[in-house]
Amino acid sequence: MLLVGCGSTERPDDVEAVAERFGAALEREDGAAACAEVRETTASQLEQEQREPCEEAILRLELPARSSAARSSVYVTNASVLLVEGSTTFLDEGSDGWKVTAAGCRPTAPELPYDCELED
Amino acid sequence: MRRFLFNNSLSIFFLVLFLAALVFQAIAGHADFNEGQDRHGDPRISLGRYIVSSEYGTAVLENWQSEYLQFTLFILLTVWFVQQGSPESKEPHKAGRESDEEQKVGEHANKDSPRWARVEGVRRKIYENSLLIVMAGIWVASWAAQSITGVTEYNGERLDHHQDPVSWAEYLTRPDFWEKTLQNWQSEFLAVGSMAILAVYLRQRGSPESKPVGAPHHATGPEG
Repeated sequence: MLLVGCGSTERPDDVEAVAERFGAALEREDGAAACAEVRETTASQLEQEQREPCEEAILRLELPARSSAARSSVYVTNASVLLVEGSTTFLDEGSDGWKVTAAGCRPTAPELPYDCELED
Repeated sequence: MRRFLFNNSLSIFFLVLFLAALVFQAIAGHADFNEGQDRHGDPRISLGRYIVSSEYGTAVLENWQSEYLQFTLFILLTVWFVQQGSPESKEPHKAGRESDEEQKVGEHANKDSPRWARVEGVRRKIYENSLLIVMAGIWVASWAAQSITGVTEYNGERLDHHQDPVSWAEYLTRPDFWEKTLQNWQSEFLAVGSMAILAVYLRQRGSPESKPVGAPHHATGPEG
């Protein structure tokens, strides 16, 4: 039982790497590479809302381009990465590894969810 | 071997029952967790991942801590508090820590009394309170562990809803921690209280938890 639930120290490097790869793909305007880092349901939601393929729709959003990770939090299968430029990226872990579920997120009021440019 | 099994049948039976319940709780909890994942469109996890998760840890530990709190309080309070007519209680005139003679310690100990009951000083003081010390220690440890697994589970949900995680200290002030704690406490206190009063009027022949069937309702302490 002492080993259970100590999720806050696991794999922060992995989630930061995914968030930075996502930002790097956006900077070189590689929509396909950016969408590859996004969870499938989030990408599908984007396509439904924008009525165009993910690789095109994602480049139209006001998402931060290349930015280093300042701080990350990992709990169980969920994570957040605060970028140096000030926005936060949320990720979750599935069978295919960590994927972005929301990006370009800024805090609103205390205790309320972040307002995100891309989210599921 | 048969003698050993018979003489320890009560603890062996409950150990087996505990292990079985723990296994089936893991199976049911894993299925329930993945149902929730499906509802949120989140990825499923394996059973092996689930049993080392904060969700399973919290579900187990919130129950352990309340059980050990129940016994800690029951052991402590029955020293001074009484319930007239209950086999769970001492007789009213015996309330308190009782004399050395009644407790068979020091010069009043028998040859087969536990060694630390026969000595004087710190060792006897510790042994006199050893049951309470261990039960309370397990309660505090499991409650602390519940808070650690609980904050991990809580923060996982907050991140899933795109909210900032909270610190462990902040989590101790959150309704989630106290709701998980108190939902278990209320049931434990109800169980002990109802056992204490029901055993005044009801009987179970052959059980040491019951007075003898023919014992009067006002008789306090004697068990079957």
